[in-house]
Formats: sequence, structure tokens, C-alpha cells
Amino acid sequence: MKSYKLINYRLALAVALLFTASCGDVLDEPLQNEAIAEQTDYTQSENMILMLYGAYAEFNALQWETFPVIAVRGDDVNAAGDQFPLQETDEFRYDRNFWMYNSSWLNLYSDILRFHGAMEEVDRYKEGGANPTEAEQYIAEMKVLRAFEMLQLARLWGSILIPETSQPGDLFEIELSDFATVMQHLSDQMDEAIPQLPSVHPNQRTDVRGGVTRYTALAVKAMVNLELKNFQAVADATGEIIGSNLFSLASDFYQLFKIPGKLSDENLLELQYSDFGNSSGTRTRYLWNFFGPSSWTPAVAGAGGGWGFYEPSVKYIKFMLDRGEQTRLETNVIFTPDGIAEIQSDPNYATLPPFISNVSPDGDVFNNHPRYNFLSGKHYLPSVQLTQGRTTYGENKNFTCIRYAEILLMHAEALVNGGTNSTMSADQAINAVRARAGLTALSNATLDDVIDEKYAELAMEWGIRFYDLVRYDRTDELNYAGRTYNAAEDRYLPYPLDQQAILPQLEK
Amino acid sequence: MRKNIQKLFLAGFLILCCCQVWAQTQVSGIVKSLENDEALPGVNVVILGTTRGTVTDVDGKFNLALENGENTLVFSYVGFQTETIEVNGRSVIDVNLVPDIGSLAEVVVIGYGESKAKELTSAITTIKSDDILQTPNGQAMQALQGKVAGVQIVSNGAPGASPTVRVRGIGSFEGNAAPLYVVDGMFVDNIDFLSPNDIATMSVLKDASAAAIYGVRAANGVILIETKAGSYDQKGEITYDGYYGMQNPQNVIQMANAEQFVRYVNETGAPADIAFVANAMQRFGRSRVNPNVPDVNTDWYDEVMEPASIQNHSLTFTGGNEKTRYSIGGSYFDQQGLMKETRNEYKRLNFRVKMDAAVTDWLTVGGSINISASRQYVGENATWFQSYFAVPIIPVYDDQNVDASPFNLANAQQIGYRGRQNPFYSLLYNDNRNDIGKVLGNFYLDIDIIPNRLSFKTAYNYSLEGRNARNVDFAFNDGVTDIVSAIRRENITSYDQVWDNYLTYNNSFGSHNLTVVGGYSFRSEFNELLFVRGTEISPNPERDMEELWFLSRALNIDITDVGDANNNTLNSQLYFQSYFGRVAYNYDGRYLLYGTFRRDGNNKFQKKWGNFATVGVGWVLTEESFFDVDLIDFFKFRAGWGQMGNDGIRPAVGAPTIEESETAIDDVLVAGRVLRPTFDLIEQWETTNEMNFGITARFFNNQLHMEADYYIRDTENLAVSIIPPVFRDTERRSIGEIRNTGFELMLDWNGKLSKDLSYSIGGNVATLKNEVRNLGGANGLLAGSAEFRQISLIGEPYQAFFGYEVAGVFQNEAEINNSGYTNEFIADNSLVPGDFFFKDQNGDGVVDDQDRVVLGSFFPDLTYGFNIGVSYKNIDFTANFQGQTGHSILNRKRGEIIFTNDTNIDADLANNLWRGEGTSNQYPSAAGLRKGWNQNMSDYFVESGSYFRIQNVRLSYLLEQNELFGATMPDVRVTLTAERPLTLFDYNGFNPEVANGIDRQVYPIPAIYTVGLNVKF
Repeated sequence: MKSYKLINYRLALAVALLFTASCGDVLDEPLQNEAIAEQTDYTQSENMILMLYGAYAEFNALQWETFPVIAVRGDDVNAAGDQFPLQETDEFRYDRNFWMYNSSWLNLYSDILRFHGAMEEVDRYKEGGANPTEAEQYIAEMKVLRAFEMLQLARLWGSILIPETSQPGDLFEIELSDFATVMQHLSDQMDEAIPQLPSVHPNQRTDVRGGVTRYTALAVKAMVNLELKNFQAVADATGEIIGSNLFSLASDFYQLFKIPGKLSDENLLELQYSDFGNSSGTRTRYLWNFFGPSSWTPAVAGAGGGWGFYEPSVKYIKFMLDRGEQTRLETNVIFTPDGIAEIQSDPNYATLPPFISNVSPDGDVFNNHPRYNFLSGKHYLPSVQLTQGRTTYGENKNFTCIRYAEILLMHAEALVNGGTNSTMSADQAINAVRARAGLTALSNATLDDVIDEKYAELAMEWGIRFYDLVRYDRTDELNYAGRTYNAAEDRYLPYPLDQQAILPQLEK
Repeated sequence: MRKNIQKLFLAGFLILCCCQVWAQTQVSGIVKSLENDEALPGVNVVILGTTRGTVTDVDGKFNLALENGENTLVFSYVGFQTETIEVNGRSVIDVNLVPDIGSLAEVVVIGYGESKAKELTSAITTIKSDDILQTPNGQAMQALQGKVAGVQIVSNGAPGASPTVRVRGIGSFEGNAAPLYVVDGMFVDNIDFLSPNDIATMSVLKDASAAAIYGVRAANGVILIETKAGSYDQKGEITYDGYYGMQNPQNVIQMANAEQFVRYVNETGAPADIAFVANAMQRFGRSRVNPNVPDVNTDWYDEVMEPASIQNHSLTFTGGNEKTRYSIGGSYFDQQGLMKETRNEYKRLNFRVKMDAAVTDWLTVGGSINISASRQYVGENATWFQSYFAVPIIPVYDDQNVDASPFNLANAQQIGYRGRQNPFYSLLYNDNRNDIGKVLGNFYLDIDIIPNRLSFKTAYNYSLEGRNARNVDFAFNDGVTDIVSAIRRENITSYDQVWDNYLTYNNSFGSHNLTVVGGYSFRSEFNELLFVRGTEISPNPERDMEELWFLSRALNIDITDVGDANNNTLNSQLYFQSYFGRVAYNYDGRYLLYGTFRRDGNNKFQKKWGNFATVGVGWVLTEESFFDVDLIDFFKFRAGWGQMGNDGIRPAVGAPTIEESETAIDDVLVAGRVLRPTFDLIEQWETTNEMNFGITARFFNNQLHMEADYYIRDTENLAVSIIPPVFRDTERRSIGEIRNTGFELMLDWNGKLSKDLSYSIGGNVATLKNEVRNLGGANGLLAGSAEFRQISLIGEPYQAFFGYEVAGVFQNEAEINNSGYTNEFIADNSLVPGDFFFKDQNGDGVVDDQDRVVLGSFFPDLTYGFNIGVSYKNIDFTANFQGQTGHSILNRKRGEIIFTNDTNIDADLANNLWRGEGTSNQYPSAAGLRKGWNQNMSDYFVESGSYFRIQNVRLSYLLEQNELFGATMPDVRVTLTAERPLTLFDYNGFNPEVANGIDRQVYPIPAIYTVGLNVKF
């Protein structure tokens, strides 16, 4: 009997332990630190602007390889450095296996889908009671950012897929649109965006200083219509920008591309970066190393150099010398001693103007390097402009996307092609740009004059020169220094091998 | 409440009553072994039908009091057949126990209990302390390499780094797909914190039948670890065990030397590269031997590596009396890294106490505490990468680099290269320290409810782990650029607990033997993470001023590198609840039936509950009366089926998420939000179903032991990554199904040639076939990076390497024209002799994405190991060998040329480049190496990883107890060990052991030579 009770007791203890171990509803505890989009409280209207900031963050986070793929093919610039894909691209030998193609494709498209995502979110805030005017403005801003990047995509690949939502999977259902269709789509998008945007200079915006305004949208509209050779639309758009009187050419062309040029009155769109005034620590930056010198003696000892991947062409330099340019040549091209010697080796250029030097106006000395003889001055930041303590090349500098000089020259281009606009004549537009460069005025400007002026003014910027030459079938210009451009094949890059594998539409 | 207290008093009273003994008859005797007539201490002697009994003393003697009516004694001892003897009034009973056949009488640790080996229906391999300690390594799992069929161990040479462990292939491709380790009941992800000296046994539960009781954690295999315990009535024993040795870098890959490098550069015809060589000659002079080569010839691996020491010392105290037993130990392990000029080391201190006490005859309590404190200095891993790529034409130090400080390190930028290259920047200007403290506590209470029938066990385990990382970058100038100092701190704290409660019921009804276990388990895992990075430490950090390396001395904080979460596996709060049961039944030891069930609940996935069941059957042929074959001592067929889960994958909410971002707007840092449109949908764990068929047999008087198993493991709901169109991301979905099948065979022969000479020969072999079965409707899924594609194709191994097949190298123009490529294609790709001839698989005249094929898999087809052992008197010799074949390695180092030309290449490549017709059909020309065409992913980059290795050779000598000057001297064993003295392979890399098959930078695996000493007092 005792033993029986004892066993009972032990059993009770065991059973008690067995069941007290069961805990409450811990299995319903949520996962930590996961903010699900659809659980967002869209009535908190003050958070709507965060989506806009996020969109600018994406835009500013341009990867280093994207820009050179967009910009390297013109006769203004050559690929230097050790990047085989870039050198081959520069010489119109494309391989769909090149990592840079796949990467640039992904970079541009990823931004575009994220802009769609941000637009969709802002729409939800709007439905949740946010100020509809604000919401529409934010969406319009994102449309402009999207359009700028999609323009680059189409310039590279011609026929592309136009995403309509943030979902990559939706692209399986979308057919390729040819280049003209993409341009028209972007133009229409800008028409939607323009009325929603503030009519101020980007640097006058108080919420997002340097952000997109009505004039940025007009600028993109002008760019896509230029590609369509819809010159009247270009003239209208550029005319409105000019007529706003909000924009002006910076008086100091050299400083426009340096720290003093950040959010200048000349700029319509910039990628913004900062070191926040601190000698180290938090910073956002473009990978300027790409443009930097592999060998230099900076005025501020210990300032870092770069990779020297982006080299203005001898053809461009001679073109500028022929024109008697100083302001723009001095700013746009950095010379090394070997580079000067290379120019001088041509008897026609044996004597160079005295401003040609391997020492920059700020005292940085550029030394010889086997991989390049020249560097891009527009992408150069003098070591003396680095914040005290910072040593990374170009740190704290913004990256210009669209500036007023391009607007003026597009305006001129539209007018010489038959567009009409009363705001400013073609001569006035081109001469404004020439005056800043210290050149005399032209009269009765022709398309040739405009194309040359664009070459001189916009070299090294976003491949503008290449796309101009292609647009007017002036591609003979591209057959320089051993290159052969085949108009039938070389305008667009092949779709990246990997994207072909994923998207059946890209199989030709 | 009051009632409860009354009950408790009553219970206490009852217990006291129960403990009183009414002596009636005394029985005593000696228990010996029948085999050699030696006394057996520690034999359990129990009065049948009671819980009372005793244990034999050192001389095998026992003494018991019998009450009225008690007449039967049961003598049981591990390794011997249990004897039941009627007393029948005798006062002296001497017993000779019969040794049980082979090790089949061994008790094997299984989930929530133990089982006799001969009654198992599953595939379990047990590794004992002696086998573990054979390998001089800080991580016990390394000792299993080549020893357990079906368990693949991929070594890691970095101090304190754990090897990759795979049980029967890979059933998961997230995390490290590591098995579950259960240390005395506690679930842990690895056992790096344990000293190998602490481990008594490791049981590898390979198949579902064995592992499924661990439910959702079982799919990657389960390894049960029992730490050392004392024995009841054991004389106190003190053991010192230790070794000291050296690690020597092995199979160091030969890079091109200066002459070979310069030849290659000249052959590329690249003016810039040729100019860099000229710059080097100008700066460092010309070689007197070859005036066209700079007078520098740096062998970077030689410069950055040196042999390093390894040592381990442990002290163990074990013993016990009638009611308590204990094991107390401490050990110190120190492994220096192979890197020079930097702190690269792992040291670990372990303490542990394990106690068990029979408080009453029905209640046993016990517990253990294991404290592990380790410090790891991680040499900058980039050193290995840089040593491979650094050109041989710059020295380590360059006196002309006067601006460089604090040391005048050479900088490749000064002769034109893009990077500074010299790996000494990584070695000298970094210090990475990890401090890891872990406390594992275990407490249990074992209640005999019905003696020998029903018992209840409650066990609570707690693990507290803190990881404190401090990475310091020193300020320096490389002769070109000033770099500021930085410090990054990261703390990860983990709190895990497991509380198990279960009942065990044992009974026999005639020939029917039954064991039933049922219980409940609660588990939680919490993780906390915090990290901060600061820059410009004041004063500038220097090696000898470590006391000033603090974040609070940093001038600026890098707020883009401050946070408390990086993904949801860190900073998590996970809860698990489980119900589990096990039934083991056998009829007369002949027919075996086994089943387990577990129901697991979690808060990690949307799917909360999962059920995991297993069934196993066995037939012991040799127990049948009709079976009588002299040479076969034991023969058992086994078969099992079971379901297991793997919850070690990252959970996913299954919806687009909002992510935080930041950017500068007008020089102000602004926080923003971004929608991540892609999302992972992982709503449940991965599920594995496994069938296992096996044979366990012993032949020739138990001299030959065989285990053979065949398994089919199907994993479904496998989390796979899908690459979405146009978007830089991957999306994870639970849609994969893969199958691993394999055959495993282990054979061991133990023989005795004379009284003094015995020997053993053993071997194991395992095959593995990994096959993708389903991808949610897709025929294939891309994986890896765009440049080095991998693919999962139905019917092929998971994430196989994918690209063009190299048919050779074009030797001349005619071969190009006859290649079958269209003229346009040849022209477009500017093909010239010395370029690869890629096979145009579909014969359409162009090589494009349609021509990509599977080039190999990182899974070995076959892993094998064998060993021999000879013992002569006091000398023991053992040798272990192992290897694997059939797996491929992506030589990603050779692939790096896609991203930059500025690098050195390995000597084999440099020497065997195509240099004109007939020179090479394997490698392209020097210029071709840099062409996009030849950089297409192809089997040029994918090489065989097969290797064979002498794993371990060991010689030991035992000095037996002697008297010296009248004092008894302890047993002393001296051991010489060579670990991994030789590895043979063809792969053009350092090391054929690359866990995921992609060799970008792998820490070299050293050979280790040690002298060991074991002293028992």
C-alpha cells in the first residue's frame, strides 16, 4: 500500500512537471524586425516623403560600372585602365558575356522597379489621406527619375521592356518595345509629370533641395524627343525652361564641376553626395576612383588617386585646340607629360598654348601612367577641395546629370532642325554657351555648329556625343584611332547572356 | 496550496519509510569475467523485483542484504551478458559473467534515451573519446574526417574555424546545412566551444529512423554528444592528456615567379603591363641572371606564411562512490595561425563539472556546467587573395617608398598597377579579435516511478553565449594615400534554452520486450546583435597600445555601419514546442520494431505545426533457430523510413517589405524608405523523407564487423533562390525537391596474432548522388554569379557549374575555319589561334546561351577512408587514409582576371599557355587569357577536386605502472602523430577541400606534427 502511494506521488510529480512545461502562446510571437509593406499604416501621411527620399537614395546610388557603359563609346573619350569589357565596348566589339553589361542592365532596371515601388506606396498614402497634391508631386518626381534611367537603358539596348509595376515577375508578360516606342512612352510620362511638379529651380526646393522640378521633367522630355527627332517638342520644352529665367550658366566653368558647383544655378539634375563636413566617418559617394589618376602628386599630400579608366581622346583635344578653346579644354582635359608629348608629336600641334600643362589650376601634378595620357577634368576634384582629413578621390563632389548648357544646345539643335520657339533663337542659345567659354558669337548657326558645340561643351558627359552622332548618322566620326563603327550592328549592345536566359522575349 | 504541502510531507515521510532496510539474509561474492578470470568492478547487482541493489567494488566483491521472499539477483555489466541467479539460501555467490558478442552489447546513445546496439533498426555510428583525441585539432568534428561513411568533413585551416560537416549529402542550401548537435540534451549549431577532451562519445544519427525524433531539426543529421562522466564506485583518477606540435603549410600553390610573369606579360602584348615591368626594372634594378626581368622575385605565399605551433593540455578528474559520481576537467588549447606579421591565433580555455547523485533509490539528480572561453585573432582573410594576385615584381619593403608609414611597404601603384597589391598592408595594418564566452548548463532529475519499469526525466538546459568582435584598422600611408584608422565593434549574445520532460516505460512479457517513451519539450532561441563603427581613433592605434583601442576614442561614427540587425537570423526570438514519443519493441531479440513521432511547433514560419514520424524494422537472422552458420556470428537486416525537417533556413514573411535607406540631400543625411518588390516566401521548414536499408553483421568469431546501408533521401519544400528578371536580387521559395542517394559500407577486422600482437584493418566507402527532382515547374534555376554561372537542372546535381565545354584551343586559322562556327560569328568574336574552341552543342554555328552545359558539381561521388592499426606489447601504431573523388572546384582565382588584368597567375598556367601551334590544347595564349571570349564560363575554370590523403599516422608507447624508488609511477603514454602529412590532387589551387566548390580564398590546410603525452594517476 505504501509503495503504491509512493508510486502515485512520483507519477503526480512527473505529470505535473510534464504539463507545467507547456508555455503560453509563444508560437504566435512575430518575427523580429520585419516591416511588411502591406502592414504599413498609410494614415501616417508624414511618412509618405520617406518613399521620396528612398527614391532619391536609389537614384544617387549609381554604380560605377553603369556610367562608363553608357558614356564610353563616343569619340570624346576612350576606355583606359584594365577593364577589358570597357575597352572592347569603346571599340565597338561587344560580347553579351561582359559582366558590365549584365550589371548595368540590372542596375538601371532595379532602380526603375524601385521607383515603381515607391510610386505604388505613395499612392497608398494618398488613399490613406495624405495631401493629394504632395502625393502627385512625389509620383511625378519619381516618373522623371525613372524616365532619365530608362532613357539610358534604351540608348544602350534599343528595344527594351517597359515595366509597368514594381514586380519583376510582371515582365514575363511584357513584349519588347522598340526605341521609338520607349521614347514616346517617356515623353508621355513627362507630360503627365510636368503639371504636378513645382515650377522652381531645383536648388530652390525646400523639401528636397536639388530634387526634380517641372524643369527637370521638361529637360527629360526634350532629351527623349530629340531622340525621336520631334524637334518642335524639343523646342517647346527647352523654350519653357529657358523662359523660366530660373537657370543660368555658371560663370566659372571649371568650378561648376567641383565643390562650388554643387546645386549650382546651372544644374537641373544631379546625383548628390556628401561627406557631411566630417574628416572621416559617414559619407555617401560616387566611386570617383574610376576617373581618378593612377599617378599624381596632389597639392595636398596623401590625397588618394584612382584607376584612370576614362581618358579624353586625342581627337577631342585636337578638335578643341583647333577651335582655340581654353576654358573648356583646361577644364575638361587633364594632361600628363606623356599626353602633352603625344599631342606635340603631331607636327601640326608641335606648339601648344601655354595653359596646356600637367599641373591643374589647383596645383595637383599629374604624372605619366602607362594606361592613359589624359584624364577627365569634369570628374576631377582638386585635392585642395577635399574636406580636411578626407583622402578618397572626388569625395563630397556631386555628379551632374543635366545642366542648362545642354538645354540651350538642345534648344539650338531643335531650332536649326526646323523647330520654332520665340523664347530664344538658335544663335542666342549657342552663343550663350560660347560666351561662357570665351568664344566669339556665331551667326546663322547650322546643325554642324550645334553638334560641334555640343562636342566641345558636353564631352565626357553621359555619352551625349555618341548618341548625337548616331542620331544624325554621322558615325564616320567614330571611325578614329583604329575603330570601325558598323551602323547596322554597333548602335546597341547585345542583351546580356543571362538576361536572355531568364527572359525569352530577348531571344532574337 | 496547504493540501499540496501536506502531500509533500506525506511523500517525504513515505520516502523515508521506503529507505529503511530490514535485513534478513546477507549474500556476498565476487564477480569475474569468464574470459580471463579477472575481477570486474562496477557490476550492477540488483534484487529482482526491487530497486535495491549494489555495485561490485574494485576487487569485484559485493555484499547485499535480502529480505524475506527475495531470492533472485540480477548481475549486469556493460559488455557482458546479464546473469540472473537464484540465491536459494546460499550466502556466497561467485559469478563469472560471459562477455557479450562483440560490441553489440554496447549501449548506444539515441534520442531521449539509449538502446542496445543489437536492437537498433537504424544507422548510427558512434565515435569514442580515443578516436577523437587521435586528431590534434581544436574542433572535435575534424576527427571524424574519413572515419564515418556518409559523413563528409571539409577541413578549415584557420585557427578556431570549424570544418563543414555534411551528413549524407546536402539536403539544404541555406546556412551551412550543418547537422544538429545535441550536447547532453542541449541543441547547438556547432561544437567549436567544446574541448575534444570533454567528449566521451559522439553518436552520428545518420538515417531518419534514428534522427526523426528530433523532428524539425533532424534533416541534416543529428550528432549526439555525451560529455565525460564518472562512474559509480570508481576509484578517483587523474588524467593529464596533452600534445604540442607544429603546423606546416601544405601543397602551397606555385605562382609564376618574376621571370615567368614577365614572359607572360610580354606575350600579352599589352603596352601598359609591359610598361609596369619596365617601371619595376627602373625602380628595383635588373636581375643579373636575366636583365629583362626586374631584380625582384617575391614569392608572396612564402612571405606571408610560416609554420605555426599547436598545443593542447587537459586535466581530468573522475571518480565516484556508491551514490555519486563526478567528472571534472579543464583544458587549454592554443593554435597559432600560419600568417606572419599579424595576430592570427585561437586559444580556448574549457572547464567543466559533471555530477550525478542517487539521492534516493528512486531519485537521481545531476547536472553539468561547461564553460568555454576563447579568443580568436583573425588574420585578415584578404591576405590569401592578395598573396595569390600580387605581382612577383614588387618586394615586401621598398626603401624608396619614403612617404609610406609606419612601414616602408612596397606599393604596386608606384610602378603603375591599380591597387597596392602587397598583402602586408592587410597583415600589418589590421587587428581582428573575437572573444567568445559560452556557458552551457544542464540540470536533470530522474525519477523511478515504478522500479525498472517506468521512469520520468526532466532536464533543463541553458546556453549563454557572448561574441564580442573588435576589428581595428590602423592608420597608414602607402606612399600615395593617407588612410585613417577605424574601429568596429560587434556584440552578439545568444540565450538558448531547452526543457525536456519525458516518461520511459520498459517491460518484457515473455519474449516480448517493449520500451515506450513519451514527452514534451520546450525550446527558445534568442539572439541580440549590436554593431558600431567609428573612424579616426585618437591617438592613432598602434600594436603596442592596445589599451587605447576604443570606440569612444573615435572622432567620427560611421552611422551607415551602426545597427542592431542585419537580417532576421540575428536579433531573433524564436520559440519551439514539441511533443515526442518512441516505441521500441522486439520479439526475442529476433524481430525488431521501432517507431518515433514528434510534433513540432514554432513561431518562425507561417506554418506553425509539423508532424514527423518514423518506422523501423529489423530481423536478426542469427537469432533464428534454423540459422547455424559457423562463420557468421551475427546478421541483422534493417530497414527504416522516416520524415525529418530542417528549420535552419531563414524564415520569410512572403510579402514585399519596406527597407530603410539613407542618402545625402543638400549635404544632409536623410533617411528614406524603399520598397523591396521581390520577396521570399518561406512559409515552412524543409522536409526530408528517407528510406534506409541496412545490414549489420559480424563474421569469423566477431573479428570482422560490417555495416552496410543504402538510402534514398528526398527533400521537398527546399528553399531555393530564383533570380528574377532584370532585378538585382534573388527570391527564395520553398519549391525545390532534391534527392540524395547513397551506399555506405564499413568493414572492420580485428585480429590477434599472439598474446602480444594484435592488429586491425578497417575501411569505409560512401557514394553520393545528388539530383534535382523538381523546381516548382521550372526546368532549371540559375544560381551563382552572372560571370560564373551555376544551375539547378532537373536530373542534375543542385547548383552544378554551367557553361561552355572546351573542345580545345585553336591551333591555327584552319582549325578556326573548320570549327563549324559561321564566318560572321568568327569575325564578330575576332577569333585567333590561341583562343578556346568552345563546343557548339546544338551545331547552329554560333556559341550562345543554348550551348551551355553542366560542367560538374561540387558534390563528391565517392568518399572513402581506411585505416590500419598494429599493437605489439606496449607499442601502438595506427594510420588513417581518406579521400574523395568526382567533385569539381570552380577555380575562381583564375577567373578573377575577368575583373582586372593587374594580377599574377599561377605557374602552371604561366608555363603552359598556348605559345604557337601544338604547344597547348588546355590553356589559351597570354593575350587570349585577357579576351572576353576566353573568359566565358567554361570547364577551363572548372577542375576536378579529387584527392587522396594520408590523414593521420600515429605511434604511441605505453610505459606501464612501475615502481620507482618505492613509489608507484603512473601510466605514461607517449605519442607521435602526423596529421595530414600528405595530400595528393591535381587541382590547381591550394587545397582541394572547398565546401561550396568555389575557390576564391581558402585558408591553407596545414600538416600537423605533434608529440603527445598521456599520464594517468
